[in-house]
Amino acid sequence: MSEQASERRLIEACQRGDREAFRDLYDAHKDRVWSVAVRFTGDESVARDVTQQVFLKLFTSIAQFRHEANFKTWLYRLAANECMDEFRKRRRLIPFDFFRPVPLDDRDEDHGEVNAPDWRQEPLQEASLARLEISEAVLAAVMQLKPKLRMAIVLKYFEDLSYEQMAEALGCSMGTVASRLNRGHKALAQKLGRLRGSLGAAE
Amino acid sequence: MFWNHVSEQLSAYCHGELRPEESRRVAEHLMSCRRCRDEYEETRFVAQLASRLSHDLAREQAPAALWAELEVMIDRSETPRRKPRLAGTPLRIALAGAAALALAIGVFWFYPRASRPAWDVTRIEGAPKVGSKAVMEAGKLRVGEWLVTDDSSRAEIRVGEIGQALIEPGSRVRLVEAKADEHRLALARGKMQAFIWAPPRQFYVDTPSAVAVDLGCAYTLEVGDDGQGLLSVIAGWVAFEWKGRESFVPAMAMCVTRPQLGPGTPYFSDASEDFQNALAIFDVAESGSDARLNALQSVLAKSRKRDALTLWHLLVGADGGDRLRVYDRLAELIPPPPQATPEAVMRGDRGALDLWWEKLELGSAEWWRIWKGPVPSQTK
Repeated sequence: MSEQASERRLIEACQRGDREAFRDLYDAHKDRVWSVAVRFTGDESVARDVTQQVFLKLFTSIAQFRHEANFKTWLYRLAANECMDEFRKRRRLIPFDFFRPVPLDDRDEDHGEVNAPDWRQEPLQEASLARLEISEAVLAAVMQLKPKLRMAIVLKYFEDLSYEQMAEALGCSMGTVASRLNRGHKALAQKLGRLRGSLGAAE
Repeated sequence: MFWNHVSEQLSAYCHGELRPEESRRVAEHLMSCRRCRDEYEETRFVAQLASRLSHDLAREQAPAALWAELEVMIDRSETPRRKPRLAGTPLRIALAGAAALALAIGVFWFYPRASRPAWDVTRIEGAPKVGSKAVMEAGKLRVGEWLVTDDSSRAEIRVGEIGQALIEPGSRVRLVEAKADEHRLALARGKMQAFIWAPPRQFYVDTPSAVAVDLGCAYTLEVGDDGQGLLSVIAGWVAFEWKGRESFVPAMAMCVTRPQLGPGTPYFSDASEDFQNALAIFDVAESGSDARLNALQSVLAKSRKRDALTLWHLLVGADGGDRLRVYDRLAELIPPPPQATPEAVMRGDRGALDLWWEKLELGSAEWWRIWKGPVPSQTK
C-alpha cells in the first residue's frame, strides 16, 4: 500500500474515533509539529503546550478533514496558527536573556499590532557573538525575527516546504510568502552580516 | 532598465520558485544592475546560512512523555457534558429565563473573582516555572497553566482552601479545574505529595493512565515518562479510577497504574517482594494466559491475612476460574459472611461483596457506596 493510501486509512480510522489510530497518526507527525513549535518559540516548555494544543485540535477536528487537502499541509496550518496564537497570548517568547528590546522602527501588513510590546531585539553584540557558534548565531537571529517572518523562515528552511505548501499552511498567497521570505532574509542579513568572513572559514 | 528593480523577487529567484520567463528576466536584470546584484548576494548568503543550519541540526524530536500528557487532555476533552432535555416549551422558557437571571446576578456579584481562577504557588527551592515564567518566591497557577520543576526545583501549590500539593523535582503539573466543588490537577510526569483536609471527592489528580480521587487523605503520586503511575497512600483513602476500572487504596497501601490498562490491584507496601512481583505480572498478563494463572497462584500462595485487601480487589477483578481460586484463599484468610456464597460472589452480588469487605475491617463500604454506587468493576 502506498504511503498516501496508508495515511488515508489512518485518518479515516481516526475520523471513526479509533484512539489507537490517532496514536499512530501522532507518532507519524509529532516530530514535525514539535520541530515547528520549538524552532518558532525557542522554548521547550512553550513548544510542549503548542504541540499538545495542535494535536488536541487535530483530535477534535479531524472529522472535518477532507482528503482533497494535503494532510501534512493542513497540520502545518494548525501548527502555524497555534504558534501565532501562543505568541499573541504571551507576547514575548525570547528565551535568550542577552537580547535587549529596541523600539519599533517600521511596520507593514505583517507586523500587525500597533500597540503591541516590542519583542524584536537589537543585533547581536560583539562579545556575545564571539561566544556563539555560527549555527547558534543564526538560530538566535531567526528567533529575533517578527513572528510572521520567523514562521516563513522556519517552514522554508527547517521543514523544506515549497511556496505553494507554505501559502496553504499560512493561509496567504504565494506572493505574500515570497514577500515574507524576502523581508526575513533582509532582516537576517542585517543581523548576520558580520558572519560573512566566518562562513568560508568554518566550512 | 534600472528603474525596474527585482528586489522583491530575489528570494523566489534564489529558491527556484519563479516561472521560467520571470527567472530569465531577473537573471538578465542582475547582470546589469549592481544594486540588485548586491541584494541578491545578500539573499544568497543568508539562504546559504539558513540551509546549512537546517542541514547541520538534527530534526528536533518530540519528548517521549508528550503523548501521555496529550492523552490526559484528550480524555478530559471527551468527558461527556450533561445536557438536560426539557420537555415542554413553557417550562423550557421559564427555566431559561431563570437561568439567565441567575447568570446575570452571578456575573454581577462574582465575576471579578470567578473570572480568574488561580491557586497560589510557592517556590521551595530552585527555579520552578509557570509556563515559561520563573516563580521567584510566590506566584499564581491559573487554570490551563503548567507548573514545571527541573531537577533541582520544588514548589508547593495551595489547593484552593482545601489542601496543599508539594511538587517534587522533574515534574510537570497543570491546573485543570479550580472550582469550589472540583479541585483538579493533571500530573503529566514527576512526583507530588498531596495533603488534603477537605471532605472526600473534592480533589482529583489526572495522570496519563488513571485519575486519583481524594477521599480525605495524604498521599504521594509519581508518574514516569512512560505514563506509568504509582500511588502511595500515607493517610486516609484514595481511589484510582480509569475508564470504569477502580482501585481503592488505604493508608500504607500502594497501587500502580499503567498506560492502556489503568489502575492495577492495590497492595500493602509491606507485602513480600515475591507477592508484589507476582501481582504486577497478574495485572498485565493476558486474560486466560498461563503467565496470568501462574502469577495468580503465586499471589495466593504468598498472601497473608493483611493481604485480604488485594484478594478482595482480585475477587471483583478476576475471571471466572481465577475468581473461584481467589474466593477459596480469601475465605481461608477471612471467613466470608453467610451471604457471600461462591455463587453470590461469582455473579458479582454487590451486597455479598460489601458484607465480606466489612469483615476485612479496613473501614465501612458505605462511604464509597454513597460516593459511587457500583462495586469496583472487573479488571479484564
